[in-house]
Amino acid sequence: MPERLANRLKERRTELGLTQAELAERVGVTRKTVNTVENGVFTPSATLAIKLAKALQLSVEELFWIER
Amino acid sequence: MNAFVIGILVGLAAVLVVAGIKKWRTRDKPMSVAEKADYLSKRRARMLPALAIIFLSQQATFISQMSGEHVSAEKAKISAWLVLSVVLLFGIATKGFWLEPKEVRDLIDDENTQANRNEAMRWGFLFAMASAIGVYVLTMIESVTGREAVHIVLSFGIAAALLRWGILEKRAHANA
Repeated sequence: MPERLANRLKERRTELGLTQAELAERVGVTRKTVNTVENGVFTPSATLAIKLAKALQLSVEELFWIER
Repeated sequence: MNAFVIGILVGLAAVLVVAGIKKWRTRDKPMSVAEKADYLSKRRARMLPALAIIFLSQQATFISQMSGEHVSAEKAKISAWLVLSVVLLFGIATKGFWLEPKEVRDLIDDENTQANRNEAMRWGFLFAMASAIGVYVLTMIESVTGREAVHIVLSFGIAAALLRWGILEKRAHANA
C-alpha cells in the first residue's frame, strides 16, 4: 500500500478565516502551490511544511501526517 | 542577405513582438505581486500546451522536406525555428517572464512550479533521447543529415517538455 502525506490544511485555514491567496502570501508562495498541497497533489518540502504550520499556528505533525 | 540571417532576424522580431504584446496587455492592471504572479501563472498554464502544439506542427514542413534541398525560404524558416527553440529552451530552463520585476519572477517560480518544471525537463530529456534512438534507426533505412537529426531531437524534446509542463500547471490550478 503506497504511503501519502495527508494534511488538514484546508480545515485549519478555514478555521482561521484565511483564503488560499492570503495563506499563500503569508508563506511566500503562489495560490497554486497552496492549492496543490491542500489537494494532496504536491508534497511540500520540509521548509514549506514548517512555514505553513507556523502560518496556521500548528506544529508540522498536527498539520501533516502519513496515511497508509 | 543570407536566408539563415533573415530567418534569425524574423525569429527575433517575432519574439520581441510577442513580448511587447504581453507587456501591453497587462499595462492598465494594477496588481499586487501575489496577484500578478497568480495571473501570469494561470496564463502560462493556458499557453504552454498550445505553444507546444504550434511549435511541433510548424516542424511538419521541415520533416516533409527531409533529404531534399532546402530553398531559401525554408532556410529562413529553419533559422527562425532555431531562435524560437532557444527562447523556449531558456523559458523552460529559467524562470521565464524576463520582462517582469524580480519579486514577481521569484514568486512565479515557487516550490510547486520548480517541481513541475523539473518534471517537464525530465520528460523533455526522455523524449529527446527516444527521438535520438528513432533517428538512429531511421539512418539504417534512409540517409539523415546532422542538421535534420538535431532538428528532430530538439523539436520533440522541447515540445514534450512544454506539453508536460503545461499539463502539470493546469492540474495545479484546477479547483483553486
